Amino acid sequence: MSEQIATIYKRMKDLPSTHILGAGTPMCAGCGGLQALHEVYDILGEKTVFVNAAGCMTLLAVYPFTPFRGSWLYTSMSSAPAGAQGVRDALDILLAKGRIPPEEDLAVAVLTGDGSAYGMGLSATSGAIERGLDFLYLCYDNEGYGNTGQQTSPATPHGAKTATATGPAGFGGYKKDLFAIWAAHRPAYVATVIGTEPLDLARKIEKAKAMKGPRLIIALAPCPTGWDFDPQQTVEVGKLAVKTGIWPLKEYENGQVTHTKVPSQRVPVEEYLKKQGRFAHLFAPQRDEATLAEIQAQVDAYWAGMEGEQ
Amino acid sequence: MYRIRFHGRGGQGMKTASRLLGTAFFLAGYQVQDAPRYGAERRGAPIFAFVRAAKAAIFERGIIREPDLVVVADDSLVPVPMAGVLQGADPHTVMLLNTGESAETWRHRLNYPGTLLTLPAEAAERAELRFVGATCAGAAARLLGVIPRETLAAALHQELAAHGEAVVQRNLDQALAAFDAMAEHAGCVGEGAAVGLDRAPAPAWVELPVDPADAAAAAIHAGATSVEVRTGLWRILRPVIDYARCNRCWWVCSEFCPDSAIKVVDGRPEIDYDHCKGCMICVAQCPPHAIAAVPERQFSEAKA
Amino acid sequence: MTRALITGNQAAAWGARLARAEYVPAFPITPQTEIIETLAKWIDHGAMDCRMVMLESEHSMITAAGAAAATGVRVFTATSSQGLMYAMEMLYSVPGMRAPLVLVNVSRGLQTPLTLEPDHNDVLAARDSGFLQIHCATCQEVLDQTLIAYRLAEHHKVRLPVLVNLDGFYLSFTREPVEIPEPAAVDRFLPGYDAETTRFHAGEPVSQGVAVLGSSPYSYFRYEDHLAALQGLPAYEAIAAEFAAQFGRDYAPVELYRSDDAEFALFMIGSFATKAKDAVDRMREAGWRVGLVRPRLLRPYPDAALRRALAGKRGVAVVDQNLSLGKGGILHSELASVLYGQPDAPPILASFIGGLGGRDIGPEEFFEMIRIVRQAAETGITPPPRLLFTENELREVRKMQAIAHVERKEAAK
Repeated sequence: MSEQIATIYKRMKDLPSTHILGAGTPMCAGCGGLQALHEVYDILGEKTVFVNAAGCMTLLAVYPFTPFRGSWLYTSMSSAPAGAQGVRDALDILLAKGRIPPEEDLAVAVLTGDGSAYGMGLSATSGAIERGLDFLYLCYDNEGYGNTGQQTSPATPHGAKTATATGPAGFGGYKKDLFAIWAAHRPAYVATVIGTEPLDLARKIEKAKAMKGPRLIIALAPCPTGWDFDPQQTVEVGKLAVKTGIWPLKEYENGQVTHTKVPSQRVPVEEYLKKQGRFAHLFAPQRDEATLAEIQAQVDAYWAGMEGEQ
Repeated sequence: MYRIRFHGRGGQGMKTASRLLGTAFFLAGYQVQDAPRYGAERRGAPIFAFVRAAKAAIFERGIIREPDLVVVADDSLVPVPMAGVLQGADPHTVMLLNTGESAETWRHRLNYPGTLLTLPAEAAERAELRFVGATCAGAAARLLGVIPRETLAAALHQELAAHGEAVVQRNLDQALAAFDAMAEHAGCVGEGAAVGLDRAPAPAWVELPVDPADAAAAAIHAGATSVEVRTGLWRILRPVIDYARCNRCWWVCSEFCPDSAIKVVDGRPEIDYDHCKGCMICVAQCPPHAIAAVPERQFSEAKA
Repeated sequence: MTRALITGNQAAAWGARLARAEYVPAFPITPQTEIIETLAKWIDHGAMDCRMVMLESEHSMITAAGAAAATGVRVFTATSSQGLMYAMEMLYSVPGMRAPLVLVNVSRGLQTPLTLEPDHNDVLAARDSGFLQIHCATCQEVLDQTLIAYRLAEHHKVRLPVLVNLDGFYLSFTREPVEIPEPAAVDRFLPGYDAETTRFHAGEPVSQGVAVLGSSPYSYFRYEDHLAALQGLPAYEAIAAEFAAQFGRDYAPVELYRSDDAEFALFMIGSFATKAKDAVDRMREAGWRVGLVRPRLLRPYPDAALRRALAGKRGVAVVDQNLSLGKGGILHSELASVLYGQPDAPPILASFIGGLGGRDIGPEEFFEMIRIVRQAAETGITPPPRLLFTENELREVRKMQAIAHVERKEAAK
């Protein structure tokens, strides 16, 4: 068990009621990634500089519009953590030399999609963690290269149809365990979150904010466009991801992994899958029992492995 | 302009030699350019370093084609074509060899057109090989005749200070001994002239033919062509198996040899001297101590 | 002021130290490594107040460099060859942020085949990136130009990163006498960094490196970067004049050596240009009226100075230590573009490709190039491009091909 830190977010109504991320972004209606970002930003506060990689959220700031009340720097798809390194180091130099007063300091956050986090940017992330960089990494994971039309990415789950996995069985590979890869670096903190569980998210960001060193957050980002569901279903899909156990909410700290919201009775995973057009071929014209059973078995095996941990 | 080339093996301090001489020239008021020539090859492989010095600005760069002085730290390099020791040597070029043989022998063997000198035996002690760079620089300074003894000493202090006083002192002793030993040849090296139009035949440029892609790509269409590289020439010490004591436990020496240079023939290890680099791992690991490390020089002298 | 024998790499490190660079993101690559090792030693032993961080790639290194410059500190970094190529995306990204920094490139040829030895294809691949480019011929110039580069990068009308280039081996590992200026004198020439409005502070939020949708803002921003680069020419001239007044060394955008009364000129960049000077001296001894024209500044390109320098010449031999595959020498094309249509442009602009992968260029080859240009001036016919490559070299390659088991069928006559 991780130590219990007093949280100010005990109930939903404790969450911030004013939102600092500006409206008017070009993100799709119902975007689960934007939902997570605004919740995270509310906790981090505007004294944050986001260093962004190529992905959907490249277009958060399109000249002359930015939703950030604080600062932002766009870098490239593969090197946002290195950009964070440069900003953090430069701020530290300025602070050490007294060229800026402490109140002018900024928290440094990296913001990338799964394409960058799970693939192209993994080397830069590994480097930043190993150097002990004091930063927070937020990955919005919509399980595909969403900005280019949802091609298969290193985060795409088994069986999902994507723009580059259009055959009758969908994507034949398996989603990479980025949480474990990050945790294997032994950073200060790693957590999974989802915007549809705002209290869990707020507590984790609150905790991460109080820490130093590398803190990395993966937010599953239900994606109406890429996953093919009606935007009004975003919260429902997200909640099902948690209730079915396919998206475990957990955190890593001091060498320990702790699950923060364990579904007491897991809903069958097909309830989650059948809400999404990308899995429609598993249900019609006839049910693909083998694939459904395989996905369910993987979820079951994951939780079976967790028994006794809590 | 003075143009000096130092030849040695990786690890013998040719860069140090060039820097000692370069700094000595610099302290003596010369314009200087010095550089080592690195390749991809390692300790034991032939390398060279060079020094240019002149009273006026130096515009030449890179490899010295027409040296005034060639210093060879290791005479086993002379017959190695890739070492290029004799390249551009003409009657004007002074050659200084670190060798156990006489200058006369080498002059004769090479039919050398210019002045050929050897480092005096006491300066060339094999045991002091790690100071051979300083020895070469000291001898070269005297042959050039324009570097005072105290300037050489000052250069050595400057270049080696970071290694501590003891190292400086050992090197200084070697360098000054070599400087003193070459007294009778002081100033025998003269400044060479630049290459003017009168002695520059037109380059034999060629038109490159259009070769097919398979020939014109950097691809090697065969395995293990590296055996054509005689890395045995890197060796200073030679491992020699005493078969009277050899246990035939070939899996020790042959397995540990990094260079695949110990063949097993009928259960008996045989060293491939064309490729053995002289690392001496086999000598260190041989259970019955049946492999001896013998200075390579003994074999070349025996042959001579 | 101290006078010391140092390598081109150490001269670059001295430039960074005297410029009081505050931040050095680093990644090693031959032949640049000595630069970052030298800086690391100074930092570790307290001789330099600077933070160095080892990144995991050159791409990340330039990202960190640009990000730190965008945050408001003076940044130095260095790379070479494949490293520069690996960083190429960020080389194009940083200039548009208008974040000044200095990058030293130690030139080395590009693969395939991989080589460790120098030519200029690496740095010329960055030609269009928005990094201004200064090319050095001596170790002294490396140190001095690094200082000038900071003034240029940080100039109010420029605000662009600057790349200072030196040749691998021929400068990087070669020691030459270098005057190392006193820190106080450098401080007078190059005061502390003024980030102007390019910085991140909590109190003044800013979004940097923002995307655009639509071509008009894109065209506007890109062309503004170009105009800023062009502003770099008068800015450089003024800074170089100030440097000359203070330190006595003149670094005009174009170096002219015995070219005023020359009928023929050699045209090249980098350290081999000093070899060309030597050849010029020899040809002058033989009564040939030959000079050297060497641009130091390649971006911005010193159009007017080059037109002036070459006006009325009968012929120019352009020596390119690079190769645009399928076109030829890059400097040749660039020079032709500024001379075309000028009333007094040289009638002969001959192209020579030499020095690829560190290949030496001998004095006899400089003589031959001028001989060819002289003949061409008589006939009025520009000779075809020529690779400096001899029978012996081809024979050497043929031997290698035999070892590589290449079955080469002689082309049918």
